[in-house]
Amino acid sequence: MMKNNFRKYPASKKGFRAIIWLFIILLLVAIPSYFTTKNDIKTLAGRYNSPLSPIIMIPGSSASATRFEDLVSTINKKFDEHHSLLELTVHKDDSITYKGSIKNNDTRPFIVVGFENNKDGYSNIKQQARWFSIAFDALKSRYKFNNFDGFGHSNGGLIWTYFLEHYYEDDGINMNRMMTVGTPYNFEERDQAKRTQMLTDFINRKNKLPNDLTYYSIAGTKVYTDDGIVPIGSVEAGKYIFEGQINHYTLITLTGKNAQHSDMIDNPQFISLFHQYIIDDKNATSPNNTDRRSVSK
Amino acid sequence: MEQQFTHPLEKKLIDLNLRIQKIFLYRVLQKTVLTIFPFALIGSFSKTIQLVFLGKNGLFSNWTDFLSDNLFYQIDDIFSAISTMTLGWISVIAAFSAAKYTAKHLKRDDQLAGLTASLSLLIVAYTYSRKTPMSFHSAVLGIRGLLFAILLGVFIGYLFKWTSHKATEPDSFAMSTNMLKRTEISIRPILITIIISVIVSDLVNVTFYSNLPQTIITAVSSTNPSTQPFLSLLRTFGLGLYSIIMSFLGWSGPYSTGVNLTDTSSALNLDYALNHHTAWGAPDLFNSSTLYHTFATYGGQGATLALIIAILWVSRDHDFINVSRWSLIPSIFNVNSALMSGIPVFFNVIFFIPFVLAPIVNMILATIALQFHLMPPAVYSVPVGTPGPLVAFLGTNGSWQALVFTVFSLFISTLIYIPFVKIAEQVKLQDDISIDQGGADDEK
Repeated sequence: MMKNNFRKYPASKKGFRAIIWLFIILLLVAIPSYFTTKNDIKTLAGRYNSPLSPIIMIPGSSASATRFEDLVSTINKKFDEHHSLLELTVHKDDSITYKGSIKNNDTRPFIVVGFENNKDGYSNIKQQARWFSIAFDALKSRYKFNNFDGFGHSNGGLIWTYFLEHYYEDDGINMNRMMTVGTPYNFEERDQAKRTQMLTDFINRKNKLPNDLTYYSIAGTKVYTDDGIVPIGSVEAGKYIFEGQINHYTLITLTGKNAQHSDMIDNPQFISLFHQYIIDDKNATSPNNTDRRSVSK
Repeated sequence: MEQQFTHPLEKKLIDLNLRIQKIFLYRVLQKTVLTIFPFALIGSFSKTIQLVFLGKNGLFSNWTDFLSDNLFYQIDDIFSAISTMTLGWISVIAAFSAAKYTAKHLKRDDQLAGLTASLSLLIVAYTYSRKTPMSFHSAVLGIRGLLFAILLGVFIGYLFKWTSHKATEPDSFAMSTNMLKRTEISIRPILITIIISVIVSDLVNVTFYSNLPQTIITAVSSTNPSTQPFLSLLRTFGLGLYSIIMSFLGWSGPYSTGVNLTDTSSALNLDYALNHHTAWGAPDLFNSSTLYHTFATYGGQGATLALIIAILWVSRDHDFINVSRWSLIPSIFNVNSALMSGIPVFFNVIFFIPFVLAPIVNMILATIALQFHLMPPAVYSVPVGTPGPLVAFLGTNGSWQALVFTVFSLFISTLIYIPFVKIAEQVKLQDDISIDQGGADDEK
């Protein structure tokens, strides 16, 4: 008998009134948000902003995609940040394997692109740049970001440069900043007057470089002339490619302990430069992120 | 009131519950969850205001645009302080309450046991940072640490039993004046607790372990999303179920944090909808946002808005009705911590079944409706704090089919909750944990 009563009327007046209120509130919220959303979606197509701005890294020759694992964990520890790490390896047959993941709500993940064939030499670098462009396209369609920062260690910087001059077209994806460490634009050649084929090619196509790019090139020296492997003159030769062509070109010379070619990415001085110029890149966050104002305006 | 429970299954469930309620640990869990209710209530109001008015993607955040930056940040600071120190601090309160209740039950110095438990939790959550001298791993102190905090409190209550004398007779509560005497009795468990806590917090990377399940499952959830509809359906249900169960324990799953920004499948859908100017025919029908975030979270995890409606509709219990009314506003905007602790729903075996069942049934119904193209999938992102029943409507850019379906599924969820509300009422009538004071007279 009681059971039937439940169906007929609510058990308490208070409860009944609260239910009425619930639906009134829902209705009050629904009407304005319906029109705002309609309006938003109309304009959404034009300004669809993915908050993701990855830091894409290319290791040097004979290193694999795992090259930066220590660097990333050092940075996460040192600055108490939580960047995720995604490692891609592009194989000789153009296929890609993924390792790691981009965490939810991580807008500044590290993405490392390594190559199965990671050998030195100009012809290999050309190939690696092509492989990188394959990986880059895959990332682009998979994660839908519209800006990123680049980092290259040693020959990784050459791959970046070749990629920017040959494959990268300014189709809505913006490269904010690039940083390279010990990138030998003139290979092992000390004398900048003697230009290698690669340097000549780079200079010839320099007008293809994105002209809003900011680039920090770091050179290490041990004994005034080189970092143990790469002569400082070879790093410096990058000025012929970038100066006057991109927005800012900065050459930084690191000396002291750990300024050798391969150790350089463990160097605390380098890590703080990297953090300051690349991770803290203000352009990397979309304008909406720095603005406290609502998006729907 | 007995006559309304003619159904044998209901009777059985009630008896089972009454038996479970006799278990001491379960009593402590429920009692503690009730104790944090006032703080959860205030916190949930503050959090609602933060999300809806002050957050960047909040539902009404354009209403606060007229405020000057200074004033805005001042208001923002006030609410963030209130939320952080209530909801974000809730486990410290829970540890206190659990230890106090346990110690009282075991006739030890309950006040000191409570304080010791709070202290112990803070030590465990302490970060050894040279940059900021006094900071804590916030994950352990909020709702996420609730279960751990309560178990810790119970453990410390027992530690007091094992290592200190019986507190003197209750009538000589002059004990509170004789601090030295109390210190003498309880100094040993306090010292042991502090030493154990320090060792644990120094040796164990708290953040790492408290995030470990999340890290693993997130890795699983975000790698290699399958393009096969059936597999993506299976995956959404699996991760959804995991998220719901975790929320029941106060933890969080991959879907608990709201819509995933970097979810590729949602991005694909949105891309499609923007190019085709319609949500009909979006490529991925069964991902987290088309099923879980749209239809499984009316009023927060566990579709608890349906629980509120069920209570307001059929309940005669004043406590239930009052708690539901008080937590109605935050629940509309999907903040359900007040309701979860006030009924209580957390760790409550009665509500575990509908808490899991209601969202899953909603998702199944939604899957059928989507499969037969009765409504378009919700592909557009909705503002944070959009009331649960409106997510589908707004996420499909105003599809009436979706709205009608929402009303229908909310009604189904309510029907799922109703029998359990009656059972909970009946159990409460026979053995009310909320008026249980702890101490000897409970053990009848």
